Amino acid sequence: MKHLAEEELVDHYYGEAAAPASAEHHLRECSLCAEAYAALRQDFASIKFPAVPARAASHGEQVWQSLRKSLPVYKKQKRHRMNFNLLQGLGYATAYVVLIAAVFFAGRQWEHRRYPNIQSAGTDRPAQPVIPIIVVVLGDHFDRSERLLVELNHANDASAVMPAKAEAQDLLSANRLYRESASRAGDRQLTAALDRLERVLVEIVNEPEGSSPAQLARLQKEMNIDGLLFEVRVLRSRIPDRQGSAVRTKGVSI
Amino acid sequence: MEENDYSIVRAVLAGDKEAYGALVARHSQSVFRVAFRITGNEADAEEVVQDAFLRGYQRLESFESRSQFGTWIYRIAVNCALNMMTKRKVETTHQIAEDADPAQHQVQIADSAAGPERLLMSREIESMQIAAMQSLTATEQTAFVLRHVEDRSTEEIAAALCIAPNAAKQAVFRAVQKLRRSLAPLRTNA
Repeated sequence: MKHLAEEELVDHYYGEAAAPASAEHHLRECSLCAEAYAALRQDFASIKFPAVPARAASHGEQVWQSLRKSLPVYKKQKRHRMNFNLLQGLGYATAYVVLIAAVFFAGRQWEHRRYPNIQSAGTDRPAQPVIPIIVVVLGDHFDRSERLLVELNHANDASAVMPAKAEAQDLLSANRLYRESASRAGDRQLTAALDRLERVLVEIVNEPEGSSPAQLARLQKEMNIDGLLFEVRVLRSRIPDRQGSAVRTKGVSI
Repeated sequence: MEENDYSIVRAVLAGDKEAYGALVARHSQSVFRVAFRITGNEADAEEVVQDAFLRGYQRLESFESRSQFGTWIYRIAVNCALNMMTKRKVETTHQIAEDADPAQHQVQIADSAAGPERLLMSREIESMQIAAMQSLTATEQTAFVLRHVEDRSTEEIAAALCIAPNAAKQAVFRAVQKLRRSLAPLRTNA
């Protein structure tokens, strides 16, 4: 009989179990898990939060009065002007793109007429795979992540956490974009790896300043930084392969 | 009939600043409630309410009609409260570092007995719970309050904290683990 883990018990308590009926059934059958669940419920029952102080009906009005003087008025004309500027900018950008495309096409035509051999040689060769942009960008991202994890993994005191926090904050926003792009492109392995990396980055960012060596050791252990570091290295080392298989897998583009 | 939130937002964006007052009046109670539950402090909660509605006004152009204004301002408030918690935790860490006296921070549990001693014990339990909550990171504490007190789903917590659902779930679980560890002496003394 497979017992329910603490995380599964917590999920069950909050009504987010993957299979609530099966968990319920197991709790009826297994006295050990039932006992653990009862202890969890008891712990939760002992956690008391202070009652929210009542606010007067005029609370909203008071808040508004304290704010209204500092708020500027939205100007409709300004919005139209902005939209007009935006449209004008888009128009110029489109014109530039069309112009560049026309020059490029004309150049290609001229080159093909002048050097027909190059064209025939080119057609014999298989088409070059397009290297997805994210491969290059992710290489850099993984490099930076690896450096951060290595520093953190070898840190012996809390002084290493502060610089790591700033770097982690920087990496975190980029990591979210990559994860979403990878998810949209259906690259599950990459999405999962970036998801795990994000969790560690969030933890580093939220680690209180002046953490003790014990807290640092706990972070290293709980987030399994060793394992993640290995995963990042594997992914990074696979980047040339990913380039090679770009045509098959389509890769991910931002 | 009451004007709906979206038409008020359009009015504000069209230049009617005063219309925003109706949105503030309509949602200030719910914003205060979540702010108080996260910060645990009335003055901080009031500051979060003001900050949330101020930011809401400044970002009103990015509000999308397909979402509810109440949900949108709630998320802003959660973020404001989280920022405040992070700031407070940093300040507390500095204070503890400055006048560190381990004896002052020890929590003692009184024996169960009747009368004044029972009162003392409930105070000790309360202070132990406060210490347990302070051991959580700002994200863990906010995620736990949203899950345990506000009864928000993992997806809602993730959206409010701008993190992946897995990270939100993990934050709640880590908070539960830490709280249970900290409150374990209560179980043995019960």
